[in-house]
Amino acid sequence: MNELLEIKNLSVTYDGKIAVKNVNLKLELGKFHVIMGPNGGGKTTLIRAIAGLIPYSGKVSVNGTDMKKYRKSHSIGYLAQRGSQFYDMPLSAIEVVEMGRYRFKEKSNERRKNALRFLEEVDMISRADYPIGDMSGGQQQRVLIARALATESKIMLMDEPLTGMDPKSQSNFYEMIEKIKKKHGLTIIMSSHDIGFTTAYAENVFCINRELVPHNEVVKLLNEPEVVKMYGPNFRLTKHYHLHSEENDV
Amino acid sequence: MFEILKFPFVQNAIIGGEVVAVIAGILGPLLVFRKMSFVSVGVSHGTFAGIALGIFLGISPLGTAVIFAIVLGILIGFVSRTGKVSEDATIGTLFAFSMALGIWLISLNKGYHPDVMGYLFGDLLAISRKDVYFAIVILAITSFWYLKRGKAIIYSSFDEDFSKIVGIPVELDYYLFMAISALITVGAVNFVGVVLASSMMIAPAVSAKMLSKRFKMITFLSIIFGMVSIFVGIILSFEFNISSGPSVVFVTTTIFFISLLIKWLKNIQK
Ligand SMILES: Nc1ncnc2c1ncn2[C@@H]1O[C@H](COP(=O)(O)OP(=O)(O)OP(=O)(O)O)[C@@H](O)[C@H]1O
Ligand SMILES: [Mg+2]
Repeated sequence: MNELLEIKNLSVTYDGKIAVKNVNLKLELGKFHVIMGPNGGGKTTLIRAIAGLIPYSGKVSVNGTDMKKYRKSHSIGYLAQRGSQFYDMPLSAIEVVEMGRYRFKEKSNERRKNALRFLEEVDMISRADYPIGDMSGGQQQRVLIARALATESKIMLMDEPLTGMDPKSQSNFYEMIEKIKKKHGLTIIMSSHDIGFTTAYAENVFCINRELVPHNEVVKLLNEPEVVKMYGPNFRLTKHYHLHSEENDV
Repeated sequence: MFEILKFPFVQNAIIGGEVVAVIAGILGPLLVFRKMSFVSVGVSHGTFAGIALGIFLGISPLGTAVIFAIVLGILIGFVSRTGKVSEDATIGTLFAFSMALGIWLISLNKGYHPDVMGYLFGDLLAISRKDVYFAIVILAITSFWYLKRGKAIIYSSFDEDFSKIVGIPVELDYYLFMAISALITVGAVNFVGVVLASSMMIAPAVSAKMLSKRFKMITFLSIIFGMVSIFVGIILSFEFNISSGPSVVFVTTTIFFISLLIKWLKNIQK
């Protein structure tokens, strides 16, 4: 049997309002999974639940181990949707990456060396001592990926990391993620609005609009002749694609 | 002018004041960057009710002030976090109340009229050896806390979610931070008075923030600015016979404007 991150009957409610309902998923470890869905569809909510940042009902497990227990021994790499970092805080890139080393008991020079190693992987070593608040959005994103890598976790959650990137940076980003994934054997679960690049790189795409949209519908959607024509793997101009929110279509 | 340093009470004021400057300098940048500057305003005014309570009960005002401040600090934190309102909004509601309570308690003291001005604006002559020891105790507690939890609190100020992910007890750290802030504020109140204590905590940090983009450097400068302010302020207070609070604030504000000017000149050169 393949190794799995399994989600059973996961539901999240905010102040009595249901945001994610009865999600059941089996995600193969070591693969690149992409969550799609409209604004407010519950992508962030699902990712935050997996990360253990918000309370949920249901069960998340990694190879049979409950996520809550798993997290005690393993970190989870996490890259939040834009805006959860407080860039006014004058930390340098390397100080930010060192955050990822918090669990490790290491001397400060050792910690710095390790942090530099991860900055190198995202091509940001030349900016190690540069204040993160003064970097461009794409550069900040790279530093945050280095920080997630620095936790040495095998599972990486990324919430719309591509927002605000131009197509060139997006494709560079994917190349970098592919390389990192291979090197560290990572499982990547990423949310995205972009169909063009995503379908070219992802190994599994699922779609959530409060509830999971059945897989065959997603496949059908992605294989619609117009979509293929518009967003074929070599398609280089990206567009944001939103599924229509129809309450009763699932 | 330095012959005044021979007086024991001036020595007490300066030694104790410098110790307070160091701790306020450590904490100030965190308060400023978390946009919680107003916490020190709220807590310092809250201590006034604590002081008044101590006088009313005939026990040590410092003791009641410490308890009152820490309770208030944690309460501000609790209301802000659970009610999802900013600390500043919470304080806006609570601090007028504690001033009112303080004035009311003091007015209940029929026969004995304590030196209200001294509590509000700082009284150099009232500073004793005991106050110096008090400052040193706060320094010890703060240093211990900063050594153990400083990194975690910096991290959670930058990114709370990721801090949780790497296993930082964000909630606990927050309340500890509020309690420590309250304690340090009482220390500052003791030297420069209720009304002006927040200037001791905030002005040096804000000035430092204008001059550097590195957190460590900002903390360092904030400590230095606070120390200079206390030293010069206390000497001015003695020379011109004004309350210690206002004279220290004159210096912190002067440093603030000089920093502003330097930043401004730097921007022009670019
Ligand atoms: N903290 C919160 N409190 C209350 N409701 C929330 C909260 N966060 C999200 N919601 C609600 O839950 C639903 C799902 O939101 P979520 O942020 O997960 O969507 P999303 O798919 O990530 O959207 P986007 O593409 O805009 O990022 C929305 O209806 C939203 O209004
Ligand atoms: Mg989202």
